[in-house]
Amino acid sequence: MAEDKKYTKIQELTYELKVGNVMTKKVVTVSPKKTIYKLRNILHTKRISGTPVVDKGKLVGIISTEDFMKCLAKGETNIPVEERMTKKVETLYADEPLVHAVRKFDQYGFGRFPVIERGKGKLVGIITKGDIIKGLLKKLEIDYHKEEIHRYRASHIFEDIVADRTTLTFHYNVVGEDFNRAGESASGLKRTLFRLGIQPDSVRRAAIAAYEAEMNIVVFTEGGKLTVSVETHRIKIEASDSGPGIPDIEQAMQPGFSTAPERIRELGFGAGMGLLNIKNCADKMNLTSKVGKGTHLEAIIYLNQR
Amino acid sequence: MTLNEVKEILEAEVIIGSDKLKMEVKIGCAADSMSDILAFAKPGALLLTGLTNPQVVYTSEISDIKAICFVRGKKPDEKVIKLAKSKNLPMLMTHLPMFESCGRLYANGLIGIGYLDIEKKNG
Amino acid sequence: MITLKEIIQKLNLEVMSASGDFDREIRGGYVSDLLSDVIANSKEGNIWITLQTHPNIVAVATLKELAGIIIVNKRKPEDETLKKAEEENIPVMVTELSAFEIVGGLYELGIGRATENAKEV
Ligand SMILES: Nc1ncnc2c1ncn2[C@@H]1O[C@H](COP(=O)(O)OP(=O)(O)OP(=O)(O)O)[C@@H](O)[C@H]1O
Ligand SMILES: [Mg+2]
Repeated sequence: MAEDKKYTKIQELTYELKVGNVMTKKVVTVSPKKTIYKLRNILHTKRISGTPVVDKGKLVGIISTEDFMKCLAKGETNIPVEERMTKKVETLYADEPLVHAVRKFDQYGFGRFPVIERGKGKLVGIITKGDIIKGLLKKLEIDYHKEEIHRYRASHIFEDIVADRTTLTFHYNVVGEDFNRAGESASGLKRTLFRLGIQPDSVRRAAIAAYEAEMNIVVFTEGGKLTVSVETHRIKIEASDSGPGIPDIEQAMQPGFSTAPERIRELGFGAGMGLLNIKNCADKMNLTSKVGKGTHLEAIIYLNQR
Repeated sequence: MTLNEVKEILEAEVIIGSDKLKMEVKIGCAADSMSDILAFAKPGALLLTGLTNPQVVYTSEISDIKAICFVRGKKPDEKVIKLAKSKNLPMLMTHLPMFESCGRLYANGLIGIGYLDIEKKNG
Repeated sequence: MITLKEIIQKLNLEVMSASGDFDREIRGGYVSDLLSDVIANSKEGNIWITLQTHPNIVAVATLKELAGIIIVNKRKPEDETLKKAEEENIPVMVTELSAFEIVGGLYELGIGRATENAKEV
């Protein structure tokens, strides 16, 4: 990779955040002297795939559901856990950067890793992929439960980090004719893009394009969708509606052309500049429309280019 | 030019942001059309407008407008004031018409940005 | 006292519709992109600064007997607008400057200063 390769904020955060920041601190453990039979209850009630074996605070092994099943099959339910546990445990240190954890998950395919304190071997937590994703989003202050972001491709962040290709997709519902909320989506998008660490100029251009697209949906249709996907190298904005459509796209693109009624012009829209604004802000723009069916607009802004 | 100077020059009333009057604005932008603001406003500009709907606030946020001054004695309603507050956007209001407001600010050294500068910037 | 002709010269405006009274004295101006606002608040003889380009601006200028229209930000009036302007004798000019700047220039030429315009609301 070239030296000037830029990382997305998410990738940056995987270096910045430590395993200890995102791990689960409350861990269900078992002592080495417990019998395999007793383990049954733990595995059953907690529905976990692997239990750290801890002796006086120190991690001494891990016993998986698989180990347990094998013992059951052989009828070895009365022998202590320590005799059947895996002693060589892959662990993470609490002070390691998250990116190490990400790589380790990728490398071993395990569902979880015990986290220990460096030097002392003391078990301090456990980490899953879910913990990593939650930790990253929390750090970015992106509230993925928020109504406006309907589907957040959070589950993919993980694979993307490994593949060096983080894609985040945000969905916004745009309600037609709602001039109280018109502009909210683009405003939310702008905040999110900032948090993702994208350069101000690109954030601004993406926000303007999204805002104009949002306003066109509000003004000319009964509603539609705004979908924005953010990747390392580009931001893609898609606006689609099932509104009246545009009969002549070339004409619609002309500066000053507008079919907005006077009522809309009084609100400050309808100067006939919006589509041109989108074109000027985007590196690539594509507009397709079918009269009576709807309009689809796509604008791409490349990052780290201008 | 500071917001406080703008306030003096335009005999304006502060709607919100009385704690931000030391803030510098360098560029003036006069418009009632949102697309026009989005196309031409430079980050950090002072927006002079006669519109008071929520979209003025959103437009300002999107185009990095630093402060708004409403002209012709227009005052936004509570809902819009609340929205601007949440976005930390100072708002002033003057009874002067747009023409007089622009004229006075320009005469006092606030500059504008027009198409020419945009073309230069783009290469 | 300054005429429309002098303003055009001094501020380097491009004349798009040349029919009308260019020797008219200009005392005040009005800036707005909202037609209803112009109808309500502009004064006879004002020079109107806007970015609107559609034919309705000529209708408004005629109604309010404005001295002319300056379209800002290098926007081109529609053909229909120019046709109407010629019929109605409304001078139409364009400039590459923004509304803020062109008004600044007009104000420096003494237009709109301490006239009845300043007191309107
Ligand atoms: N999603 C859409 N559905 C139907 N028609 C549309 C849509 N988007 C744009 N148009 C048509 O294209 C024209 C030009 O759109 P554009 O955004 O450039 O200007 P505007 O919305 O009229 O004014 P402005 O964006 O300056 O406020 C609109 O007047 C409308 O006729
Ligand atoms: Mg539009």
